[in-house]
Amino acid sequence: MQVRKVDQALSDPGAGGWDAVAGEKVALSKVPIDAQPTEYIRVKWAGLPYGETADADVKAAHDGTNVFVRVEWAKDSEPNAEFHDASAVMLASGDSSAANTMGSTDAPVQLWLWQDGLDGVRNLDGTGPGAFANRGTNGISAQASSADGRWAVVFSGPTADAQASGKLGVAIWNGSNEERAGIGATSDWVALEFD
Amino acid sequence: MTTSVIHPDSGPMRQIAMVFDLNKCMGCQACSVGCKVLWTQEAGEEHEWWMTVNTQPGRGTPRDWETMGGGLKEGHPVPGHQPERAEFGGGWEFNYDEVFYGGKGNKVHLQPLDKGDGTTEWGMNWDEDQGGGEYPNAYYFYLPRLCNHCTRPVCAEACPTGAMYKRREDGIVLRNEDTCQGFRFCMEACPYKKIYFNYARNVAQHCIMCFPRLEEGVAPVCARQCPGRLAFVGYLDDEDGPIHKLVNEWGVAIPLHAEYGTGPNIFYVPPLAPYRLNDDFSIDEETPRIPPEYLESLFGPKVHTALGKIRSELDKVRGGGTSEILETLIVYRWLDLFGPFTADPADLQRPPESVPVTLGTPSGA
Repeated sequence: MQVRKVDQALSDPGAGGWDAVAGEKVALSKVPIDAQPTEYIRVKWAGLPYGETADADVKAAHDGTNVFVRVEWAKDSEPNAEFHDASAVMLASGDSSAANTMGSTDAPVQLWLWQDGLDGVRNLDGTGPGAFANRGTNGISAQASSADGRWAVVFSGPTADAQASGKLGVAIWNGSNEERAGIGATSDWVALEFD
Repeated sequence: MTTSVIHPDSGPMRQIAMVFDLNKCMGCQACSVGCKVLWTQEAGEEHEWWMTVNTQPGRGTPRDWETMGGGLKEGHPVPGHQPERAEFGGGWEFNYDEVFYGGKGNKVHLQPLDKGDGTTEWGMNWDEDQGGGEYPNAYYFYLPRLCNHCTRPVCAEACPTGAMYKRREDGIVLRNEDTCQGFRFCMEACPYKKIYFNYARNVAQHCIMCFPRLEEGVAPVCARQCPGRLAFVGYLDDEDGPIHKLVNEWGVAIPLHAEYGTGPNIFYVPPLAPYRLNDDFSIDEETPRIPPEYLESLFGPKVHTALGKIRSELDKVRGGGTSEILETLIVYRWLDLFGPFTADPADLQRPPESVPVTLGTPSGA
C-alpha cells in the first residue's frame, strides 16, 4: 500500500485530502478460536459467530512526522448497550510478528486501538488475541465518523513507528455481537511503501 | 497458553477467609455502606456495591444472578452471562432540583431520574424483606455477599490480559486496573456475579478484601462496621482461630453454591429461623419454617449437617451444658472476630492532609 506524502494533516476522516489518496480493500477473517488465550474464551465462543466483518477500506498517508491510516468498514446496525464497535491498526515488531493473531509472546505487535464511546486511543502491545498491555499514548490519536452505515476512523501516530514496521494490519470488533479482545476480525499484513 | 494466575508463582500459599453467621444478620447494610463509603465513591462507581446484603429468597443483585452461569463444571469453565448495567440497577440520580428548587415540592415526590436505560427498575436491595412463604409462616433471612476470593478464581483464568490474579501470601483476588482493558470475561466467568464494570474508566472492579487495611493489621471495613458481630475474618489454616474451627473442625460454616466449583472462601453459618405455626397457631416443632430444600439449593446438602449440629449445641446449652461452638458464635468480645487483624484504623499513621488550593481567576483580574 502506498503511503502518500501529504502537506497537511489528514487526521479527520472527512478531510477532502483523502480523495486523492488511493486505498486498498483489505480482507479480514475471524481470529481462530484455537488461538484464543484462555479456556473460558474458547469454550464461550466455540460455535458462536464472530469476526464476520469481511473487509475494510484502508488508506494511508503521512506528512513526514505523522502517519494517517484511514480505516472504513460497514457497521452492524443493532446497538449494544454494553459493548461498542472498535478498530485497531497493527504494526509489526519484526518479521515474525503475526497480524491475524494480534501478535504472540515472542513477537508482539503494536496496536493503536480506537473504541466507540471511549475518549482517545489506546496504544498497546499485543502478544496474542486480546492479550494486550498498555504502552502509553505517545502521540497516538484517532478521529471517527459514522455515516450511511459505515464507520471511518483515522489513526494518527509517529511516521517512524509505521516505517519501522514496514507493514500494517487491521482489526475490527463488532460491538453488536459483543466482540472484544481476540473475538474479532483481523487482516494479514499489508506492506507499506512510503512516498 | 497456560499462565498461573497465582502471584508469585512459588512460596507458601495462605488463604484469608470470612465467616458470616446468618442467624445474626439483621440486614442493616452497615457492611454495604461502610464498603461503599470507603471504596466506591468515584465517578463510574455509583452503581458498584462490592458488599451487598440481599433478602432470601429473592432475585438478588445483579437481578437473577444465580441464573447467569459461569464457574466450573468438572474442572472446565462454564459459559456465563455478563451482568448488564440495568441488571445491577441503582447508581441513580434524583430530581433534587425539581423538588427542592423547581417550585414543585408539593406536587412531585423525590424519585430516581428515569434515563430509559432500565437502571431504575432494580437496585442492590430491590426486593428487600419480601422473602418467601405465606402468613403466618412467612420467612426470610439476609445474605451478605462479596467476592469469594476463590481458591480457583475463574475470573482471573478467563482474563486474556492477566489483569486479575490471586495473591499467594493471603489468597486475595486482585486486579491491576492499569492492565485491565475492560473486556469483562471475568464478569461472565464469575458464577457469583460480584464483579462490576466501571463504564467511566473502562475497567472491571470488585471487592479487594480491604487489602491495604489487612496489610496494616486492620480487619475489612464490612467486618468492623457490622453491629451484629457476625463477620469473622482470619486465615483458613489458623487452627486456633474461629474460621478454621467453624469451617473445618465443626462444619457449621459452609460455602454458598459450592457446586459452582470455584472453591469460595466466604462461608456462612446457615439460618435456623423459627418453627412453623399450625393453623391453630400452635408450634410445629417438626417442621422448620425455612424449607430445608431451599437452604440446600443455596448451601448444598451439608446445610442439614450444619443446622443439625447447631440445634444439638442449642439443646446442650438448654440442658445446662456448655458449647464452644455457641460461645464462639456469640462473640462476647468484639475483637475475637478479627483473628490477627485487630488493629484500630484510627491508630494508623495517615498521610498529612493536603492543603486546599483555590483555583480560579486571580483577584483583581
